[in-house]
Amino acid sequence: MQISAYQHGIYPRSETVVAATRDLERNRTSSEEVERRFREDEENFVGVQREAGLDYFSDGLLRWQDLFRPLVDHSPAMRAQKLVRWFDNNSFFRAPEIGDLHSAGGIVPSVFALNGELPEPRVATLPSPYVFSRAARGQAADTDRDALMLDLARNVLASVAGSLAGSGYRVVHLQEPWLPFFGMEEGAWEPFEDALRTLKDEIAGRATLVLHLYYGDVGPHAERLRRLPVDAVGFDFVETDLESLGRDWEIGVLAGCLDGRRSLVESVEGTVAFARRVAEALNPPALYLSSTSDLELLPLEVARRKVLRLGEAIRRLKDDLP
Amino acid sequence: MNKASERATTLTAGGDLNQPLLTHELGSLAKPNWRVRAFAGSRIEEGDLEEARLWGERLEVPDHEQLLDLLRGAPLDSGQKEELKRWSSRYGVRFLEKVGLDVVYDGEQQRSEMYAWSVAHAEGFDWRGSVRAFDNKYYSKAAVTGPVSLREPFHNDEFELLRGFAQAELKVPITGAYTIADWSFDEHHFTDIDLAGSAATRRSRRRAGRRSLIRDVARNLIRPNLQALIGLGARWLQIDEPGGSTDPEELDLFVESFNESVEGLEAVFSTHLCFSDYNLFFPGIEGMTECKQYAVGFANYDSRELGVSDAARPGYTVISKFRDLPYRPALGLGVLDIHTDFIESPELVRDRVLYAVDVFGDPNRIHVTPDCGLRTRSWDVAYSKLENMVAGVELAKQRLGL
Repeated sequence: MQISAYQHGIYPRSETVVAATRDLERNRTSSEEVERRFREDEENFVGVQREAGLDYFSDGLLRWQDLFRPLVDHSPAMRAQKLVRWFDNNSFFRAPEIGDLHSAGGIVPSVFALNGELPEPRVATLPSPYVFSRAARGQAADTDRDALMLDLARNVLASVAGSLAGSGYRVVHLQEPWLPFFGMEEGAWEPFEDALRTLKDEIAGRATLVLHLYYGDVGPHAERLRRLPVDAVGFDFVETDLESLGRDWEIGVLAGCLDGRRSLVESVEGTVAFARRVAEALNPPALYLSSTSDLELLPLEVARRKVLRLGEAIRRLKDDLP
Repeated sequence: MNKASERATTLTAGGDLNQPLLTHELGSLAKPNWRVRAFAGSRIEEGDLEEARLWGERLEVPDHEQLLDLLRGAPLDSGQKEELKRWSSRYGVRFLEKVGLDVVYDGEQQRSEMYAWSVAHAEGFDWRGSVRAFDNKYYSKAAVTGPVSLREPFHNDEFELLRGFAQAELKVPITGAYTIADWSFDEHHFTDIDLAGSAATRRSRRRAGRRSLIRDVARNLIRPNLQALIGLGARWLQIDEPGGSTDPEELDLFVESFNESVEGLEAVFSTHLCFSDYNLFFPGIEGMTECKQYAVGFANYDSRELGVSDAARPGYTVISKFRDLPYRPALGLGVLDIHTDFIESPELVRDRVLYAVDVFGDPNRIHVTPDCGLRTRSWDVAYSKLENMVAGVELAKQRLGL
């Protein structure tokens, strides 16, 4: 069993960057100063990951305003519109209003800030095509969300994932909170699988595709999930019972053990003990350890402690498991 | 009894708010640059003085030259900073009075922020750091680390200050118990940290912890603060609950927190909800019988086209559910989108109001407000928006023969 750990998703900004972006909006500082502060935060996050001994490096998506924004902002066919609550959190995203993706052509925004400077191997986070299509507004969304899901996979996400896979990113991590939180219509599973297959084919042999399901219990979907065309499925184990997932998975598993929405930091012993149970029960070919969701909803210092705790846990786990 | 409190007693006699198309604000205004800079100890620029002078003249703030003298003396000592805050409140009240609102406050000029201000005056919380609300907007988030209690009443001073010079009716905005609990981490009521046991057991324990936390805040922080204000003569208290619909599965806890906060107290209580799928509140809020008015943001979801048809007013289709509540509360109709600098025209406001009056069949049950506080807008933009809101209400009144 291959065992590794990484921190996915949007990482919190420092108080310095928060103040700098606020000051910029009030014309109290320069964009150069804000850029300098962002770079410091990105370097600090790399340092935390290095200190933790994580296996893949992320830039923390520190400049992303929400999960969709860089992709939306770089596409002539999409606009960031109304503020919508991000599931059951005191946090909001701007719903992407989507026009004709076919005429927009493939987009490959430079959404990963450090690019060449980020140590390898790297992990990239992108929205899953399902949550992207469900969070969207506009004519394309109103007409046929499943068709939109496929369009997003083919015309937006595949080109970005393919580009990333060719530049040092060994894991492409898809965030999927919609399915656990709201569920999925029966007819949407097949197009969802097609959308995922599109992405997997795009990066095959170059990067691993992980679909991470969080903010809800996906135990009832376990039999479908274990057959999805991805390399690994991630779980939010605060919400999903390990026992509901059956045994002996043939694809990899990401164990989301560190709660991305609580300030209390988990113990090393408890985290390792739970990860060991996951390994024993699901016996996947690859086991990834991480947080239940992005750490964006935590203050920076709490998030930093969780990343370091993740590192402690993965070291212990690697020692314990063959 | 001064003028404001006389009017307050008149307005709330019998515990109702029957005044057709009554207009009011909802909460915070941006803090003027001169206040922010002087309070932070920064140098006061000529532009800051000019801003204070221009708005002082425009709003006809009595004796505002004294503020200019104060600013010229920056940096300020702590006593002068308190004086500065009082000036900021004078400007805030006059801003809202001058624009023509029926009911005002001071744009929360005395407070740091709706959540932080409450927590700063409570026991049982420790600050943890900034967390994003949206885009580049962050808030300071605390953790509940012990039993919650009121350290000191935290709106008394401002209420006494404002009623000393406000000419219009006052309504005190207060952050609600559910929102304070929801925006805090819990490190006291639910402390399990590891993934032991089943998820169902963990969920059950987590919910019990949430309930304990929310009731703790309602009973021991919000309620005594309300009692203190009522003791000073406050008659209309608006419980702000932007977090109210965060978790649909906790709507019963939200309702319970409101009832725990206000039950048996002698005042008019309303609540403010914003930026949610308001359908989620039904039927849960049928149990919030002490709530005399729901002030709700709708413009953010609406079209900018004129018209009073369902098709023209997509942001307001849910209002019939508020109409049908068994205890017949008024609806504070949000008609200004506070997230953009777009200035709603009087005609657009008029049509939103007429649509709502038609749905409710009773103009007494419709009050007119912005969607939420205008803190993220400049004073120029906020003033233009509110000015047009008042003008739009006048157009609606003309159309309705009021």
